[in-house]
This record gives sequence, structure tokens and C-alpha cells, in this order.
Amino acid sequence: MNPDTTALPLADEKHLPMPRIALSMTINGARYDIETASTATLLDVIRDQLGLTGTKKGCDMGGCGACTVLVEGRRIASCLALAASFSDAVLTTIEGIGTADRLHPLQAAFIRHDALQCGYCTPGQILSGIALLSENPRSFEEIREGMSGNLCRCGAYPGIVAAIAEVAGL
Amino acid sequence: MNPQTHVRYEAALKVTGQARYEGEVMPPGMLHAALVESPVACGEVLSVDAARAETVPGFATIVTRADSESLRPSGATALIREKAIHFHGQPVALVAASTGSQAREAARAVHVATRVQPAVTHLDQAAGAAFAPAAVGRFPAASRRGDPSRALSEAELIVRNRYTTDVNNHHPMEPHAVVCWWEDHRAVVHTSTQAVFATRASIAHAFDMPAGDIRVLSRFLGGGFGCKGQLWWPWMFWAMLASRKAGRPVRLELSRAQMFTLVGRRQATTQDLSLGFVDGRLTAIEHDVVAQTSTHADFSDSTAVYTRLLYACPNVSTAHKLVRTNEPHPVPMRAPGTAPGTFALESAMDEAAGQLGIDPLELRMRNFAAHDQESGRPWSSNRLLECYRVGAERFGWARRHERAKSKVGRWTVGFGMATTLYPAIRQACKARVRLSLDGSLVVQCGTQDMGSGTYTALGQIAADALGIPMAKVTVELGDTWLPDGPFSGGSQVTASIFPAVEAATSKLRAMLANLAVGDPGAPLGGRRPQEIEFRDEMVRGRSSNVAERLVDLLARGPADGLAAEGECAATDHQALAATGMGYGAIFVEIGVDAELGEIRVRRVCGTFAAGRILNPLLARSQFIGGLIGGIGMALHEQTVTDRATGCILGKSFTDYLIPVHADMPEFDIAMIEEDDPHLPGGVKGIGMLGTAGIQAGIANALHDAIGRRVRHLPIRIEDCLASAY
Repeated sequence: MNPDTTALPLADEKHLPMPRIALSMTINGARYDIETASTATLLDVIRDQLGLTGTKKGCDMGGCGACTVLVEGRRIASCLALAASFSDAVLTTIEGIGTADRLHPLQAAFIRHDALQCGYCTPGQILSGIALLSENPRSFEEIREGMSGNLCRCGAYPGIVAAIAEVAGL
Repeated sequence: MNPQTHVRYEAALKVTGQARYEGEVMPPGMLHAALVESPVACGEVLSVDAARAETVPGFATIVTRADSESLRPSGATALIREKAIHFHGQPVALVAASTGSQAREAARAVHVATRVQPAVTHLDQAAGAAFAPAAVGRFPAASRRGDPSRALSEAELIVRNRYTTDVNNHHPMEPHAVVCWWEDHRAVVHTSTQAVFATRASIAHAFDMPAGDIRVLSRFLGGGFGCKGQLWWPWMFWAMLASRKAGRPVRLELSRAQMFTLVGRRQATTQDLSLGFVDGRLTAIEHDVVAQTSTHADFSDSTAVYTRLLYACPNVSTAHKLVRTNEPHPVPMRAPGTAPGTFALESAMDEAAGQLGIDPLELRMRNFAAHDQESGRPWSSNRLLECYRVGAERFGWARRHERAKSKVGRWTVGFGMATTLYPAIRQACKARVRLSLDGSLVVQCGTQDMGSGTYTALGQIAADALGIPMAKVTVELGDTWLPDGPFSGGSQVTASIFPAVEAATSKLRAMLANLAVGDPGAPLGGRRPQEIEFRDEMVRGRSSNVAERLVDLLARGPADGLAAEGECAATDHQALAATGMGYGAIFVEIGVDAELGEIRVRRVCGTFAAGRILNPLLARSQFIGGLIGGIGMALHEQTVTDRATGCILGKSFTDYLIPVHADMPEFDIAMIEEDDPHLPGGVKGIGMLGTAGIQAGIANALHDAIGRRVRHLPIRIEDCLASAY
């Protein structure tokens, strides 16, 4: 190779079809039978394959919390989760929390406190907030610490914390 | 009209996950795209070999420079038409496949051969080649009034320092995305853009097709802050070419790492600033800025522009210069110009106050500019002095001396303050309103809402003008099929849509008033149309209790209801009789733990005079959001280039820190009412004001707390450690 020429390394391996697996999941009370790549993340399955686009992809590296979903009430970053690990799991996404006509109390509090601007981090903030509420935060400081895995770039943080605190009765 | 605290119009859609962002549109048969990136920072592409990529299962098509030759040459297509590599990570091809992971795998399998040239990866390497840009935003790059060098030589006190600010990236939470397809010769482009109409124009030019054959949609936009503009277009064009080539819809989403390289940044600045004082008054200012731009285009923030007019001073010179490096291209970012510019100016004012023995607040009030000394025009309105007074009172600035050196637990507490400002301008805008027989109202404008409240503002202005509750209003925006609206940027959307919607609703009110008085048998029959007012879904006589329901009135009109359009022109800068600026005073309390080097913002009081506030609830959110962005610039955000390779290091949220919940101080926001007769509706922009000033406020508070003056951003742990001072 010419010394002043560089190239990306050639991949030697053959490009084989990705193994596919069959999964069942319960999401928002509905059962889904899914066939997907064995390497697919839970986020990509939820968002692209099932079309539940309320779950957002902000960084795909577990750094922003936009993809937060609940697994048996516990919050996880679905971009860091392999779908294959969640066979037979019971999941909740933002679509299972409430509708415009029947809002969850935290959703209603988000609206009252104007706890959102662009709205892209909002589903993750709400799911994370619901999981945090079940952990019984005792102060605004505990809420701020407990929510710090959910980034918001518009700067809606004070409204988000106020909404969670209101529902927590603080 | 009193300000209304309507909740955010689209909030219920956003909190339930039903708001569909454009990258979430899923047409049948859609392919997923991934970009192949240059492994070097400078050189040229010799060849792109897709032979192996084509063997990846799901591979559909590849687009390279060769395909771009069908596009018309322009600034927007240069990066995809030419061989030159300008920065590390510059895309050299786009691959489309059945799934996202297949597309990424295929992109990795593309073989790119490049000729490498030495890269300039630091401002200092090319400082000798610094040049003056043609303009800085819409302002001249340099200015001079009076004789600042002579005035400096005669000054009693000179404060002369260098201030530097680092590169920041915008990082809206939604990465850029496009979902596009072709319907015969027509293009449908769903994309996250702050400018649907400019995007349509760019496509029309590049693809040499009529704008009427292109539909661009951006109905929900997950933030932008300046980066969802023109730098996205080349990669969007490639997605469109891939779609045309494959005959299928294509989706391209940027990765978070690509948000560091492909869609702009806040440029780093080196600012040399000299202030001269006689008797506590500014007699001279020299402000010289050197900033980075890319090797493929020029961009300069208006960093020193606001130094020309914030304070009264007879002798002022400012200049901007650019240095080209093989790094990503800069664009405006949240409070462009004012954020880095006020960091220098408002830090220097604090330093001067210390040396003069004058309270920093008093020094600013003493040097208040009663008119715009740069243009010689009066202010359209200016209640900055009131901001200073009200803010100081609310914050407790008078306790500065008793509290400043106090300790709260492990925290050494300091107070600081600074000024913020941003120009009030507007763009051309059209709007359409339509009242149906059931009394429901549709408001349409093609502009987009990047999270700043444009849905709510559009609906509220029309609803209030017609006396209709927001529950009966439908707002449609973010679509080039709607009337032309402004791009979302420069804090000008509300000021632009206000006169257009007012013009449309005035026409509608005139139609309704004529209907109300035109029928002798109706309750208001025979009155003068001017006497009619609109409240609570009724039309009323202004001086009596006689009223008629809007729906009864509409029943007498056309069967499809009533509609009207309004428009307004952009600000004519040459013809302005007065300079319109929004202002604010930012007061900050910080705590420093000198053993850990930890710095915490504890309290922020922002007092803003920004014209008429339409919706205090949403305005407060805008101000707080802006302040948080400023905290990020001051304490967290720093984009680092590897000087050996030109590669951006740490392209993720684990290395590029932005403020999180735990970083939040207590906020106190005050809005000073202004009645501005020069601006339509008295509306100024508010989006940028929070993001300037606070950086200097924090640096000044740090000096107050521990006596250390930090003249660079971001302020780091090592700046605050006890051993460092």
C-alpha cells in the first residue's frame, strides 16, 4: 500500500445472515410473539419492530435515559438490553402508562408544571419518575439524584422534579 | 390583553408518547441507512469499494460522490460532490440495507482509500493565517468609534485580559433523522429540521426540481438549538439519492457520536479585551476575537458585536478573525455570540469593579447606555436598569459582603452577577386561520416548534384574538404545505408569527363583525362593526350587554365557515428607527468545595425585560432552560480534538458532560413588563436570553468565593482546587 494512503481494514470474515430467534414478551398487557436478530437490542425491537415509538433513542449507549422502560416495575435503559434476555418478561412502555383522556397522575403533573419542551426525553423521564416514586423519595434532593440518569437538553429539569415531588406528596 | 398561562398545547401528546417525531414515520418497505466515515482529517478520497459491503445480508444500495454529480453544485452539496476530506469522520458514502444493524455492518465493510495530507488540528498551528470574515452574522466583522487606543493611553485604569471559550456541541436529545421517499418525481421528506422552507429550497436547488414537488415535514422536533439546519442537508440529500436509487423509502438517523462532527458546534474563541476607565466610567473598549472555522466554509459568531452597544463608551473598537482547521464546521448555538462575548465583557467588568472598589452592580448601572451608541438610534425599549434593581432585590445582592465569604457546610459561598442581551428581530411570516360552523378554530403556519412553545403561541394568539378557548383550537405547523413561516432560531419565531396571526384574525374579526351587525334581526343588528368585541365564544357590543353566540353568527355565513390569511414582512434593518434588544440581569450564588475542587451553582435569579410576555408559564420554562444551557457552557461542556489525528475524542455523554438533574440550582425568574411601541405586538424574543451572562456570573461568583479569577470556559475542577489558588 502506498505509504500516504490509508484504508479501513478489510473485513476477512464472511458476512453470514444474522441468527434469528423467537421471543414472547408482554408489553403494556399485550402479548407479542417476535422473531428478531439474536443481537437486537430491546430498544430496536420495541421502537422499530413493534412500532412503539414512544420509547426514544437518544444515544444508544445508556447515557441519556430517553429509552427508559419498566421491567416488572424496575427502570432499565432498553438500548443496553438485549431483546433475547427479555423472553417472557413483562414490560411497560410510555404507551402503557396513560392516554390523553386518562392520564397517569405523573403525566398530568408534567403538563401542569410544564415539565417538557421538545418532549423527546419526556417518556423516559416519566417512566423513570414512576419507578422512582415506587422507591419513595423523601426529598427534592433524592429526586434529583434518582433522576440524574435522564438527560434533558431543553432544561425542563425543575418542572420535572416539581411534578414528581407533587405526586410524591413532598 | 393580560398574559395567559395556557398549558403547552401539545403536552398531552408528548407525555403519552403519541407525538410522532419525523424519524418515527415508517412507510412500508423502508430501508435503513448508515454513513461511511473518513478515517483521516485531511486529504482526499481515492476510491470507495463496496464489493464486500454488497455481500452483507440485507444490503440494498450505496451512494457516493459519483452519485452526487447529478446534484447541482452549491455550498450545500460541496462536501458530497468533491473529493476533498476536510475533517475526521466526514462521510464518504452512505449505505442502505434492510435493517439498521445491517446498514452499519455494510458501512463498516466498505473499503475507502484516501490520500492523506497533514491536518491542522489546533488554532495555534494556523494562527498566522487568521483572516477577517466577510461578516459576523448580519453585522460587520469590525467596528470603530472614537479613538480607543488613545483613550486607553489616557485611562486611569486599564483592565486588559485574554478570555477563552471551548468548543461546545448542541446535542438536542433527538438525533437528526430523515425518512424520505419519491412519488414519481415528487419528494416527501420527513426530517428533523429547524427550517422546513429553507430545507425545501435546498432540495429544490440541489435536485433542480420545483419547490412545489417537494414536501418537507417537521411536526415534532426533539430540540435543535442551532444544529438542525444546513449542515444536515448533504447527508439528507444522500438519503434521498439512496431512496431514488433503491426505489424504496430510506431512513437515516445520526448516531450520538456523529452529532459531534456532522451538524455543527459552538466555535472556540480567544478574546483579547481591554477596558479603560476614568472616574468609574468606561472611556475605551477594545475587543478582538479569534475563532475557529472549518476548511470548507466560513462561520463567525457575532461575539464582540454586543460589546459595541451594551455600555455607554465613546471609544470602542471590535474585530473578529477566523482560523481554518481540519475540524468540524461551526454554526450558531444557543445565544450565539452573546454567550462567549458576555463571558469576556462581563468578567472584565467584574474585574474592573474589584480594582475600582465599586460594587459590580453599581459599576454597570453607572455605565448604562441610554441609547444605542453604535447606530446612534434610541432603544425601542430598554428596562435593563429595572432588571438590575429588581434582580438585586430578589436575590439579596446587598448581603453580598456579609454572606460572600461565609461557609455553608463544606461549601464556600460566592455571589456574582452579569448582564445578558439579545437582539429582537423578526422574519417574514404568513398564517391562516379558519373558523368552522361549530365554532372550532384551525390555525396554520408552516414554521416548526423545536420545543420552544410555537404550537402554543400560534394557538393562543389566535384564540385570544377571537375569544375562543384553547380547547377548541387546532394548530397545524411543521409542513411546507402550510403557509410560509420562519425558521426556528435567533429568538424570532414568536415575534414573527404574532403580527401574521394578528393580521389574519383581524380580517376574521372584521368578517364576523359585519355578519353580526348586518342582519337587522340579529341581537347586534344595526350597530357599528367597530363596536363589536370577541369574548367567551360570543360577539358583544362593547358598551352593552347585548351579545350573540359565535356559532349562531357563523350559521348565517358560508357553509364551510370563515377563513383568512395574514402576513408580515421581515425586520428591515436599514429602516429601523430604534434598536430592539431584550435584556436581563443574572445573579448567581455558587458554592465551592476547595478540597474536592467541586463547584455547584446553588441559586440563580434571572430578571428579564423582553417585551410583552405572551405566556408566563412557557416563558419561565424558556428562561430556565436557557440558564441551564449556560450552566453547561460554564461548568461542563467541552469538545476535545485529538491533536495528532484530528479525531474528536470521547464522542458520547459519558465524556461530553451536560447538566443533569443533580446539577440544578434553585431558580427565581422575574419578568419585567415592557410596552414596546416600536415592535409589532411589543414582542421580543426570549429563547436566547438565559444562555448568556450566566457564564460570567458564575466566574464572577467563583472569584467572590475563593478569590480566583478563571478566564476560560468551561471552568474545571482543577481551577477550583485549593492548591490552585
